[in-house]
Amino acid sequence: MLEKTNTALLSELGMRLVSGSLSDAALQTATEATPNFAILPWVNVVKIGGQSIMDRGRGAVWPVVEEIVANLDRHKMILGTGAGTRARHVYSLAIDLGLPVGVLTVLGTAVAWQNAQMLQYLLAQHGIAFVEPEGFASLPHYLMERGAVICQGMPPYKLWEANPSLGCIPPQRTDTGCFLIAEVFGARKMIYLKDEDGLYTADPKKDRNALLIPRISVQELLSQDLNDLVVERAVLDLMRNARHIKEIQFVNGLKPGQLSAALDGEPVGTVIFNDGTAPGDAT
Amino acid sequence: MSEQIGAQHVDSRLMRESLMDKTLIAGTEAPVRAILPNLNVIQIGGSSIMDRGHTAVLPLLDEIVANQEAYTQVVGVGPGVRARHILSVGLDLGLPTGALATLAAKSSAQNAYMVSCLLASHGFVYLEAPFVVQLLPAMLAAARGAVFNGIPPYDLWEHPPALGKIPPHGSDAGSYLVAEVFGARSIILLKDVDGLYTADPKTHADAKFIPQIGADDLLRMQLATLPIEPVVLELLIRAKLSKSIRIVNGLVRGNLSRALAGEPVGTLIHT
Repeated sequence: MLEKTNTALLSELGMRLVSGSLSDAALQTATEATPNFAILPWVNVVKIGGQSIMDRGRGAVWPVVEEIVANLDRHKMILGTGAGTRARHVYSLAIDLGLPVGVLTVLGTAVAWQNAQMLQYLLAQHGIAFVEPEGFASLPHYLMERGAVICQGMPPYKLWEANPSLGCIPPQRTDTGCFLIAEVFGARKMIYLKDEDGLYTADPKKDRNALLIPRISVQELLSQDLNDLVVERAVLDLMRNARHIKEIQFVNGLKPGQLSAALDGEPVGTVIFNDGTAPGDAT
Repeated sequence: MSEQIGAQHVDSRLMRESLMDKTLIAGTEAPVRAILPNLNVIQIGGSSIMDRGHTAVLPLLDEIVANQEAYTQVVGVGPGVRARHILSVGLDLGLPTGALATLAAKSSAQNAYMVSCLLASHGFVYLEAPFVVQLLPAMLAAARGAVFNGIPPYDLWEHPPALGKIPPHGSDAGSYLVAEVFGARSIILLKDVDGLYTADPKTHADAKFIPQIGADDLLRMQLATLPIEPVVLELLIRAKLSKSIRIVNGLVRGNLSRALAGEPVGTLIHT
């Protein structure tokens, strides 16, 4: 059949898209010359760590909940949860059973989901809803009405998660899922609540000489090729290609006031920023 | 500071460790078991096959049915020209890659649904992503094949690419990832070219055919256009189970059967 497309309706780029190969580098370059519309430019994405916050129970979680409530009138927030120690257990078990990374992603998603559900019980009296990926189209309404929504942090890749270059643990977990939410909505801020003051030169839980890094470019951080990081490596790779999110901030969720300071735009914790190298240029 | 608020841990090998630690990650390297080792993943191209209508699609479906007794087949379907159109409108509106991916996935869902209708009388079912996760093994035991949306369910979480804004994970990547996670016997991509050439054979008469090539060698060649999504090559390099894909011309009768039988038809790209 091969019907002719009515080209009169299409822009020049549109005609090339309809007739050309999508893997053509020249065509991909041409798509760069379109505007970057921010869908929710006023929203802040806040990721609440699994092992670092949720697994600590009341002592860590209740103060975070209080601080979220205190900010509801001033800042709109998408609250994503991490997975934590139960995910580590199930990853360990599943790897031992010889299961593939896609199955581990399905299993890990259930743990982040549990944490999101618990957080939602604690915030329910403030009218905060838990939205699953399929319900994200309603998210703007909840944000306008109540100031925040909760989601589980894992990207919905399920069995379609790609293998890591090394090992068997899903490379794109809740840091990545929350980052991609911030990027696709063109969010105002991407804030990670962890149990450290930010990024260090080594793991501060193990190395007393580790130094806090208050601000570093993603390009420099990648070139240092550190053995350990405060954030999933996938986030750093994606940051170089991001059109909206130019910096991400890591603050200590165990210290009251740090989340509010980050929401207010103060330079607490560690900021990882894109130094402006054009997408695709950085290696 | 951190230890003042006691975390509640479950004992495991990964407990209290940073999952970002390279030494720890390397220590998780382990053999992976194939979940459905008899599965064959067949990908029907959108622009290359579906958009041509019944003259291209029906003979191919006949061939799938003819192989139903001998081979377990699940069929992924690509989106084609309607996805190109909505990409064009979406880009013009300034929408981000994740939004474009969500939109384009509906076009391949339509194509997959049409294929499932045409195969329904032979016992094929259409499975959306959540059902692929929960029901594919049961469906293959009960039903006689399945059709799924080739585009992976990355939706709003699709990666912004290094160059441009077109979603990098299309139906080739999605079909490949289904094969990899289940440890499928084969993954066959049905296109409208005989396989891989040194240039686009539709525009270059002197293009040379490549019957077999390693994914890393192909990446190094940096061809201007490829008959598959470039991201598939990166996925192949990290394969644990599905270590090769075959691209064959789905417009030529018998090619699918030959590919299923393991004959060297089309182009084999391997790790």
